[in-house]
Amino acid sequence: MPVIYTVDWYTAVVEAINAGVAGLRGVPQGTWTCRIEIAGDGVSPYVTDGEERHFLVRIEEGRCAWYREVLRDEEDTVLDYRFRGPAEVFDEIAAGAVDPVEAALRGTVKIRGDMRFLMRQAELVKALLEAYAQGVETVWPLGAPPYAGGGASDLAAAGRPTAAARGSADA
Amino acid sequence: MRDVYDVVIVGAGHNGLTLGAYLARSGLEVLVCERRHEEGGGLCTEELTLPGFLHNVHANYHTFVDMAPPVSDLDVRGHGAEYVRPEVQMASVFTDGTALVVHSDLDKTCASIARFSEEDAETFRRLHAEAHGFIDLLLGALMYQPPMSVKELTKALLTFGAEDRSEFLSVKLRVETINRFLDQHFHHPKVKAHLAFHGAICGYTNDVKGLAIGFPLLAGKIDNWHLCVGGSHRLAHALWRDLAQHGGVMVTDADVDHIVVEGGRAVGVRLADGSEITARQAVVSTVSVEQTFLEFLDATTVGEELTHKVKTEIHHKDWTLFSVHLAMDRLPEYAAAEFDPDVNRAWVVNLGYGSPEELNTDWATIRKGGLPDPHPNAAVNSLYDPTDAPEGCATGLLRQFAPFALADGGEGAWDDIGPHYGRMCVEAWRKFAPNLTDDAFLASAVFTPHDIVRKLPNMIRGDWMMGEISLDNMLDQRPLPELGQYRTPVERLYMAGSTQHPHGFITFGPAYNALAVIAEDLGIDPWWRKV
Repeated sequence: MPVIYTVDWYTAVVEAINAGVAGLRGVPQGTWTCRIEIAGDGVSPYVTDGEERHFLVRIEEGRCAWYREVLRDEEDTVLDYRFRGPAEVFDEIAAGAVDPVEAALRGTVKIRGDMRFLMRQAELVKALLEAYAQGVETVWPLGAPPYAGGGASDLAAAGRPTAAARGSADA
Repeated sequence: MRDVYDVVIVGAGHNGLTLGAYLARSGLEVLVCERRHEEGGGLCTEELTLPGFLHNVHANYHTFVDMAPPVSDLDVRGHGAEYVRPEVQMASVFTDGTALVVHSDLDKTCASIARFSEEDAETFRRLHAEAHGFIDLLLGALMYQPPMSVKELTKALLTFGAEDRSEFLSVKLRVETINRFLDQHFHHPKVKAHLAFHGAICGYTNDVKGLAIGFPLLAGKIDNWHLCVGGSHRLAHALWRDLAQHGGVMVTDADVDHIVVEGGRAVGVRLADGSEITARQAVVSTVSVEQTFLEFLDATTVGEELTHKVKTEIHHKDWTLFSVHLAMDRLPEYAAAEFDPDVNRAWVVNLGYGSPEELNTDWATIRKGGLPDPHPNAAVNSLYDPTDAPEGCATGLLRQFAPFALADGGEGAWDDIGPHYGRMCVEAWRKFAPNLTDDAFLASAVFTPHDIVRKLPNMIRGDWMMGEISLDNMLDQRPLPELGQYRTPVERLYMAGSTQHPHGFITFGPAYNALAVIAEDLGIDPWWRKV
């Protein structure tokens, strides 16, 4: 099982998403690039308070082509969507402990981009989110969400994923 | 004035100016033609009573500030539009001396509601929180995008399981009235009355089936009411400045008489003085459907069927507004201030509706062309904008829900009855604010439903929403299915005024959404889309 926010985990997420959407009909043809911005909130041990981790996800012809971590200030990609929220929420979504649709409805995850398209492609979006949230059995070395009372105290000593571990997963 | 532009826009209301500014910023040569002597349309501020007293003749409430993308995209603040969000936004005063007050601070609002019903206060807190959570999604999916159909919206809500995840969102809202929504979630009649009143003042009549679909959004922005300092016209002027700074031209006293069509394509306009202006790329109308298709175009151009539909299927609101503008030497002091002192600082006050049923009764009277006993709402802009009146004085605005055509005498009868009805409205205010004795009023001016159409003829039958607010005139059905996506049967002729989705009010939505369609057709890079 892959460790959260590692190359192996990204690869597993890509596979889970593609398995999740494989049976869908009428998947829109086209390419969409989404940026996920996870902001450290002092609760998640995987994204420390004040730190941010950013990811790009490419959807091509209804399949996830790749999922990769990018630098925070790397903004040269033309985006179709931006998802932003606190690390605690994203961790809990990845652990299947928080419903991603509810997180969006509650505004804890902010979405920018063509909302009308998201609404029109509700089935695809739902399948993508469910695959992300429930499709990968993840290892949480610093403790698994949901968190109670905040994150781990000594991230470095606990061996949290570092920048060196960041990479990408191509389908 | 040159006689050739890339785009010619008819009407310099906030939608025409907004669209013009975006297109000018996109590098196009833009002309906005305005029939009146100044820009703004409903964003009209005049010294109606006495010198130094600035009265917003029409648009007074700006509830989409910082929600509508153009406010930042076009830097309206940088161009001089200054907004205040009053601490005490709105209140209802009731005949028993109590008052319900909506603050910009949610806790204070809930505390006020709790004086009537603690359960309702908690429900309102949950509704407000939930609405604030999804307000970005609602605005992004529904307000500031060319519209989906109700069917698509329903399917999406079902697929996402919105009903299971939300206490207040439901696909059933599309067949329910606001009254029904309120009955399902709230208990105290005064709480329901205030929420119904808030819906009505936003154009959402509480007894019309299907309008519950808009209520969560209304609740989410109930405390986002803004006042444009120096008068609403300042916004129009700011939009014009942005247009002008980017090379666009707005010309006043330019009464468009005809849209010129050649080979099925709109290629310009002809003014009442006979001059013609060529539009290389597009013509955009922001005035009424009736003016556009029955006056500026003829049936041979747009087709008999559409012409017939415009004549027979465009529906307007079945009530409008009667206004009394007042120059005053004092601020109102409400009797209900003994119950809640903050009511004296409320920008807008509902005078006396104590239950939704009382509103229902007045709607029934109005729909028959009758005049209800006045329950006006009173706005005192000077509370938060001291520049709108001489020192020590204040402006007052009474707005009364009213019919356009009176059963006895039609709309023309307003000229006779207006001053009398205005005095009745003032009396109704005085019942709640006894310090407003006759000597408090230095001057007054009524602005009747008939005056609305004389000043702003695009507001057919005084319809300040420029089209009925009902489920069958929403989203992609507004104003007609053929026109619901801002395009028209005439190539390169677009509709971008409040006749279009979402509707009237200072939303900027029709212009912003039409912009997306026009950009697609004209190959303009949508620089304003910030993901």
